[in-house]
Amino acid sequence: MNIKFLQLIRYLCFASLLCLASPKMTAQTPTDAIMMEKGQLCVAAIYGHDSWEEYWEGTYKRSNGNIGTFTRQSVSGMFSLGITDRINVLGALPWMKTSASAGYSKGVQGIQDWGVWVKARSIDFKLGPGSLGFYPVLGLTGPASNYLTDYLPFSLGLGAVEASGRGILIYELDMGLYARAHAAYHIRSNTTIERDYYYIPGAGGVYSDKVDMPNVSSFGATLGALLLKNNLKVEATYEGMNTLGGADIRLHDMPFPSNNMDMTRANFNLQYYIPFGNGHILSVIAGGTQVLTGRNVGQSTAFMGGLTYQFGVFGNKNEATN
Amino acid sequence: MKKLYLFGALAVVAMAVFQACEKDLPTNLEFSAYKYANLDENGGTWKPVLLDSASLIGIPAPADASSAAYLAELADLKAASSDLSADQRKAVAYWSGDGLVRWNEVARDLAAKYNLPPPPKPDGTYAAPDPANPGNIPNFPFAHPPYACRMFAYWSTAQFDALIAAWHYKYAYNRPAAYKTDASISTHLPQNDLPGYPSDGAVVAAVSKRILTAMFPLEKDYIAELAEEHLNSLQWAGISTESDIVWGDSLGRGVAGKFLTRAGSDGMKAAQTPKPISDSLRVAAKARFGWQWDNLESPVRPVGIAPFFGRVKPWCIPNVEAVRPPVPPAPGSAEFLKDAEEIKEISKNLTQEQRKIANFWSDGPSTYTPPGHWNRFACDEIVNYKLNPLRAARTLAYMNMAIMDAGISCWDAKYYYHYARPIQAVPGFKTILGTPNFPSYTSGHSTFSAAAATVLGHFFPAEAAKFDNWAKEAAESRIYGGIHYRFDADMGNEQGKACGNYTIEVAKADGGE
Repeated sequence: MNIKFLQLIRYLCFASLLCLASPKMTAQTPTDAIMMEKGQLCVAAIYGHDSWEEYWEGTYKRSNGNIGTFTRQSVSGMFSLGITDRINVLGALPWMKTSASAGYSKGVQGIQDWGVWVKARSIDFKLGPGSLGFYPVLGLTGPASNYLTDYLPFSLGLGAVEASGRGILIYELDMGLYARAHAAYHIRSNTTIERDYYYIPGAGGVYSDKVDMPNVSSFGATLGALLLKNNLKVEATYEGMNTLGGADIRLHDMPFPSNNMDMTRANFNLQYYIPFGNGHILSVIAGGTQVLTGRNVGQSTAFMGGLTYQFGVFGNKNEATN
Repeated sequence: MKKLYLFGALAVVAMAVFQACEKDLPTNLEFSAYKYANLDENGGTWKPVLLDSASLIGIPAPADASSAAYLAELADLKAASSDLSADQRKAVAYWSGDGLVRWNEVARDLAAKYNLPPPPKPDGTYAAPDPANPGNIPNFPFAHPPYACRMFAYWSTAQFDALIAAWHYKYAYNRPAAYKTDASISTHLPQNDLPGYPSDGAVVAAVSKRILTAMFPLEKDYIAELAEEHLNSLQWAGISTESDIVWGDSLGRGVAGKFLTRAGSDGMKAAQTPKPISDSLRVAAKARFGWQWDNLESPVRPVGIAPFFGRVKPWCIPNVEAVRPPVPPAPGSAEFLKDAEEIKEISKNLTQEQRKIANFWSDGPSTYTPPGHWNRFACDEIVNYKLNPLRAARTLAYMNMAIMDAGISCWDAKYYYHYARPIQAVPGFKTILGTPNFPSYTSGHSTFSAAAATVLGHFFPAEAAKFDNWAKEAAESRIYGGIHYRFDADMGNEQGKACGNYTIEVAKADGGE
């Protein structure tokens, strides 16, 4: 029996949605400070592999012979579009497959959650040897298929519709080093399960097929650099999420969608850009993530890799290559 | 830029509205206290389940309605029921007088809370819950379905006998309800013509407190708090005087004691056998039939759940052999292969509807178990049909006796036939539900559900088809979940019906039809 924080998987996918937007070698995710110029579209396909052997029941860390190694693989399609130079729209749709190396529980596969984000460049000015920018991001995610939420850790997702508000602050030196921080608050709707009674430890029984999902806060801090004449971007991130409520998994109990899932992780990403003469840009990305601390989640080790492709769809199509 | 800020402000408002629109989720059945459909005035003459007579537990004649002592009680009641605080009003509405449905819900929640399989220790062994030291890890009890069905059975049969006794004294002493004697008392619940002494609500609270505390010893304080609030609510509601409550409480405690004496010697203490005995059942099945069930968890659990629950004393069936199903198809036989093929096909092409049915009836760890599920259905009908507490307790008592008999006979079959689960007998088979730690044949869900549906159908004939469909769906759900073959479900259904029919015969003879 056990766990995985599925939503973070989604974030992981986004941490890998990295596109070149300007000669300054920037990227594009809901948690970064990169903007596509007007008319530019970046599409991405990312493969992710995430696995764990140990997980936390509350704060108690354990393994489980009936799970062995738990693995989640995903293939995500994503896009980022410059509506104007100051407003971008991002979208994503991951397909996933879950399985366990031991025990007799059947894995699951299918489409997880759609996600749409709007990112704006609200403040951007020179400060000392670099420039300071602030980017608000609003997001909405929700289940894209009728997957079962009440089957953790195998569930594809948690099934809640989630609205998030995020602020991103970046300070970028002209020489190509930058530091970025973001913080977000995620409001979650009830999720639906396929039984109409369940027991919440410390609270009691609930006679409904709806589950009240606690809200979530998340944060991240990144150090990044542009190398090899700005063709290679390297980033290291420390990030975390904190579920604001919910019960712990009791000793040897089943996990539940509204559990109090917390974690911190370290993440390392590379992106290499290959510009074409016609203004289109290909990039190759790769990254790894390690969960450091957790509560009611698996201590996962994740790898991902993929391709992005950027091109103009309206406006001045040559702007991308400057 | 302005547009941006406007967009942002709108989005923040939308997010707040988005969440504010969600309602609080119900933690119990939502209903208002109702006027009883009838009072069963002759209920004191019904045949109790365990007591030799309704007057076995004595309570004294109450003070006369015109006595000074009673007038003082009435004055106290009048004071207690005027100017209620919001919390007091809430308590009155929640307990709604007799409180039978509420205590059933409390029992369901406790079953769910304690329905947690013992965890493996770091060295790969398992500790068993210890009734003598319930606070040890794992806590006592592990409220698996056999434990839960027995808990519900004792709780409801004790309620039934105690309320028969209460009805006996109500009409033997015939002291009118307080509000009949003093019309100036403001009551906050529907009035009725039942004599007030002893209080049926106090009987229900006392039985619940005593039985549930015995079944869930770590919840002693929690249960005592609830009982106190229930008793107080009877005064706040303006319906029961102090002597009504005190002697109702005394009667309830006395009757519950008789049931706990039965529980102490019904064989449950030996149900969770030591490993050598459990192994001998496996060896016996292997010798007799050529097959055996094995636990496939990691680390392996040394003993299945309650191997000797089949030897626990039943209520209405003559013995387990009377309802024991025939030998199941041998693994590898054509009949077996047909049903094994069916679960493989279902697993491969599981529809949304099948998945939903499997989950709806799963009633696994951290739930109130199938017996709890059927108690919920029974309580829904009790409220729909506005049953008085005596008739409600009768419904619950016979249903839960049938469910426990079904559990006993099902467990007898499980460990007698010791039949392998699909994950053991079908190579490479995986499931969407956890495979329980006991043999396959017959299906517990099917047996419990058919027994419950049979008895409820007898008491609520207009709903019989609905209950029967639910029982069939509960049985089918285990096939969809991949943890039972169709022959487990079908034979479990038959076995449960047989248990239910024995129970109905007893009910027909108790004077309450």
